[in-house]
Amino acid sequence: MELYLNSTGIISGAGNEMTAGRLLCKEPDYSGYIAPMQLRRMSKAVRIGIGASKMCMENAGIEKPDAISIGTAMGCLADTELFLTKMVEQNEQMLTPTAFIQSTHNTVSGQIALLAGCYGHNLTFVQRGHSFEHALINAQLYLDEHKDEKMLVGGIDELTENSYKAFKSGGVYNDDVVAGEGAAFFIATSKPMNDTAVCIKDIYCFTADNADDAVTQVISFKEQNNIANIDLLLSGRDTTTAKLYDKVAALFNTREETFKQKCGEYPTASSYALGMLLQREEKVKRSVVVNHFKHYYACWLVESI
Amino acid sequence: MSKQAYIVNTGIITAIGNDANACLQSLLHQKTGVGKAEYLQTHWSNELPVAEVKMSNADLAALTGASDKWPRTALLSAIAVKEAWQPFADAAKNKRVGFFSANTVGGMDLTEAVYKQFKADSESVDFDNIRNHECGAVTQLVAKHFGFNDFVTTISTACSSSANSIMMAAQMISNGMLDIAIAGGADSLSRFTLNGFNTLMILDKQPCQPFDNNRRGLNLGEGAGYVLLMSEKAMKECDVNPLAIVSGYANANDAYHQTASSPDGIGNKLAMGNALKKAGLKTSDISYINLHGTGTANNDSSEGKAIEALFEGKVPYASSTKAYTGHTLGAAGGVEAVFSTLAIKHGVVFPNMRWQTQMEDVGFKPATELIQGVEINHVLSNSFGFGGNCSSLVFSKG
Repeated sequence: MELYLNSTGIISGAGNEMTAGRLLCKEPDYSGYIAPMQLRRMSKAVRIGIGASKMCMENAGIEKPDAISIGTAMGCLADTELFLTKMVEQNEQMLTPTAFIQSTHNTVSGQIALLAGCYGHNLTFVQRGHSFEHALINAQLYLDEHKDEKMLVGGIDELTENSYKAFKSGGVYNDDVVAGEGAAFFIATSKPMNDTAVCIKDIYCFTADNADDAVTQVISFKEQNNIANIDLLLSGRDTTTAKLYDKVAALFNTREETFKQKCGEYPTASSYALGMLLQREEKVKRSVVVNHFKHYYACWLVESI
Repeated sequence: MSKQAYIVNTGIITAIGNDANACLQSLLHQKTGVGKAEYLQTHWSNELPVAEVKMSNADLAALTGASDKWPRTALLSAIAVKEAWQPFADAAKNKRVGFFSANTVGGMDLTEAVYKQFKADSESVDFDNIRNHECGAVTQLVAKHFGFNDFVTTISTACSSSANSIMMAAQMISNGMLDIAIAGGADSLSRFTLNGFNTLMILDKQPCQPFDNNRRGLNLGEGAGYVLLMSEKAMKECDVNPLAIVSGYANANDAYHQTASSPDGIGNKLAMGNALKKAGLKTSDISYINLHGTGTANNDSSEGKAIEALFEGKVPYASSTKAYTGHTLGAAGGVEAVFSTLAIKHGVVFPNMRWQTQMEDVGFKPATELIQGVEINHVLSNSFGFGGNCSSLVFSKG
């Protein structure tokens, strides 16, 4: 594959203090991006999604994209919970529509289209730890058929009190794994728009039941792409996954950087990692990103142009 | 187009039948699936009719050997996937198989049953009840059950979700990324969606009347629908003939309102027009339009006007099948892809049931009687939804 990411807009927990196992987004001043009246009605997922997408478009110097492709494993959780709470507490009576309207998984992509007046292709992927990866694979499919267009691609997930509890019960978050959230957007094209763009050469997604099986898949990724030397390994390593990432690091034998201590763990955290690659001042020629969320894994081969 | 995606089989379960043949018989004999909720436990069961699959979760699970602890959406999905996939499971060994399954409710049916308790004391709730809450978890359960792992994805764009699954699957077959794909979607009824649509005041308290001037709203339904797609090469190697071709597809956004369609159906017209363009067809080539036709005042008016404008008044046979199945939300595009394939295969147009009065703002009349013995060469199938998401697919004779 050959897909270029030209600019980014990120809202994340980076720079925020971790509290009670959670790293919540450091939200910007939205004035200039979102009208105050609209902002008041937006849940955090919609706010960070619209905010990050606008920053991304501003950085790319465009007012609206031709098409939109978004990944969000959990969708608009806060509004889902709001409607659900009222429904069970009020025994299905006297309910109002606002939270329900904003609870659908495609709310953010729909709102971006609405605010920008974008009539183009518009998709939302909800494949757990592969949601953002699939949004980018879709971008490749779309741009293959529409070579001169600019597609807005993003990854978003918000953390709520209940999702924290649920993921904790499910063993995802614990004393060593900090829960996170965030939104990172990109302008994707089939040809580079500027000299700071990065080229995605491959996205290799797989699921694996244990670290050894995952390493076998990472080896396949390395072989398929004939990777001999790379300049940077950007890994989803946290303190609980040394078994996997030590082996991955040995495979690539290069400088390793990590990102989850900055953004926390969430299903679309790989979008934050890609944003880091685009934002860094010192360019690296060839990078590999290896990430996991639960048993969902993805490897990326990324080159600077 | 050199490489196309061929439909070689289908799988479906809805309130009008547990497989493609049962659904066909109900469509031919105008048997509706709309009635009183028996399995969905809701305050509104006497007031809001639904198109429910009349089987318990345990009985649904028994049809595929799945666990009855699965979300109902996953149980419905597995039944339809089994019908589409099983005849080819052996022949498809060593081929790259993708599973594209849309849904909008995920495991909400299980979550909503324990949510009060979860809010009070989250640790007292058995995690199995919320383990599969995510839409992607539903797809993963079914993928694992059938051993799909080459490419597994879930799209959630409200009522257009599974049309988009079929679009993406067709693209990945056309460009050689996959040999075979099972594409469509599933959704079960849930109190969450029933109450959500009820707050929007777009649910009909009687059986719905799509494209009728006196329509009152939609009935929610549940089900699953998938097409089995193959490349030409895979089809030869599996020794199977095509039922139809996915010849065109397009996705557009109405960019008008989060839940309502623009009065003239801007997004609808773009999706239909671009799908025809992709298929290389003129409007006069279309034999039948399977309408989105939910029965709401807004949808049918916008869709009808967009069709009239695009077809310049010369509208082919058109009908909505939602008076039979209800609106199955994330499953609708998959369910109606199966119906479109049946229309091509059997040369039939399904009647737009319960139609009585011509719409005032739309000039064409839907097909209200069963039409048989006609050549159906190209079907346009519409799926429009919340978030302005509009998708149209074109299915052509293989």
